[in-house]
Amino acid sequence: MRKVAIVGIGHGKFGVRSDASLRELVFEAVKACLEDAGVTLDEVDSMVTGVACDEFSFGIQPSAQVHDYIGFYPKPNYRVEAACATGSVALRTGWMNIVSGLADLVLVVGVEKMTEVSTSVATEIMGRAGDAIWEYPFGTTFPGYYAMIANAHMAEYGTTEEQLAMVAVKNHYYGCLNPYAHMQKEVTLEKALTSFPVAYPLKLYDCSLITDGAAAVLLASEERARAISKKPVWMVGLGLATDTLRLGDRRSLTSLSAAREAARVAYKMAGIGPMDIDVATVHDCFTIAEIVAYEDLGFCEKGEGGKLIEARETYVGGRIPVNVDGGLKSKGHPLGATGVSMAIEITKQLRGEAGSRQVKDPEIGLTHNVGGSGQIALVHIFRRE
Amino acid sequence: MEFKNFSLFINQSKVARFTKDLAEGKIMSTVCKKCGRQYYPPQADCFSCMESEMEWKEVPREGRLLTFTRIHVPPEHFAVRQPLMPFSSVQFEPCPIGLIEVEKGLKIMGWIPKVDIKKIKVGMKMKASPFTLPDGKLTIILEPLNP
Repeated sequence: MRKVAIVGIGHGKFGVRSDASLRELVFEAVKACLEDAGVTLDEVDSMVTGVACDEFSFGIQPSAQVHDYIGFYPKPNYRVEAACATGSVALRTGWMNIVSGLADLVLVVGVEKMTEVSTSVATEIMGRAGDAIWEYPFGTTFPGYYAMIANAHMAEYGTTEEQLAMVAVKNHYYGCLNPYAHMQKEVTLEKALTSFPVAYPLKLYDCSLITDGAAAVLLASEERARAISKKPVWMVGLGLATDTLRLGDRRSLTSLSAAREAARVAYKMAGIGPMDIDVATVHDCFTIAEIVAYEDLGFCEKGEGGKLIEARETYVGGRIPVNVDGGLKSKGHPLGATGVSMAIEITKQLRGEAGSRQVKDPEIGLTHNVGGSGQIALVHIFRRE
Repeated sequence: MEFKNFSLFINQSKVARFTKDLAEGKIMSTVCKKCGRQYYPPQADCFSCMESEMEWKEVPREGRLLTFTRIHVPPEHFAVRQPLMPFSSVQFEPCPIGLIEVEKGLKIMGWIPKVDIKKIKVGMKMKASPFTLPDGKLTIILEPLNP
């Protein structure tokens, strides 16, 4: 199988970007990515665009808005989608382009422009990430699904609202150290615990943000990677798995089976285990999701996720630093961009370019990206030379 | 009785009669005539044997609460409109929802009206029932047994 590396990264500023449209956000990320790699767009063979929602992009085929605006035609570009895991599906599709031999240099873009619509409309669009026929009539929202996971986890393992809030405290702390993060504000445990309820037991500070943003990475075949980059970051493990549409049909309400299966496949492909991971970005769309991710990825035993954050083991200097870029919680969660943004943070960490949030000399990194309420999950493992 | 009286958005389905039964006080599943696999919510087709010969069967309605929540920030469809009158406000008291398991693997989602959120506990015994809302829409509610 051909080897594939990340040779360029470009991260736009995440936030309420009322100054820019979807296509303009992409331009920022693509420009930064090409500059980082030191290549021109002419050298790129193919492109993949990740956008989650047509309702946010105001049109079908949002990939055309993108390749038109950056002048990338007539070469291949198309849109991929997997709700909140769209960015990782884009990355996987880019990887497949190279492994198949169709291309040697692929630009992978993830973007979402979410604040053009009102918060209640955005809430409704994301609420349909579950089953529009059988769940939505009960007023389900995205926080609502994870709130039901939280209540089940709390009842079964004694996980506390304080432990959930500790995830928010950590991720806001690191968001302040990330200039591209949406929220540059620390939060205290008390403030997180007393913030207004969104879906019991989740409160405002348990929830990720409605964010505009774009991110881009350049993938290269081994030959091209060695010619372009002094610090290629290799994609050595990829896992994708799926699960039932409805929360009610899951075998477990305290775990995401798709994430467990995706992790198993990715670890096997990379020939490593959870204890080999030096740094990770996980899908903390809600604080409970980060705690469940610790368990699903094997960073701790089932039910011990709350204790792992309480012992500060997921801070820099801890056993397994997680989301030290601020995570979805503080960096923001522009649906299509998130998976690409995760890969960018791991690339920075493995290159040793993460600045004040740098983990000490990491060799292997992992991303964990979940779509909807767990209908799809992707785990990617990255390795420096 | 149209399917969207229950589903809100989608009206065209092979299992549209679910709503008619709900109006008559029954919560129905489908069972594959060939392999006996039961589906709730009902499916018109069986994925176990790729057949579409199904029969309708009422589901048991008593079970234990697996999980619940109360959604304070509702989606647009359920959102409370701000009144147009100056200096006035609307007090919003959202209704909790939950998921009960009535048989191994068979789970029913429903509203939990008139129960204090502090008194809702995972594991409590509850009963699911069809319910007709004031606007004629049909839904399912969950009520505690032996309160």
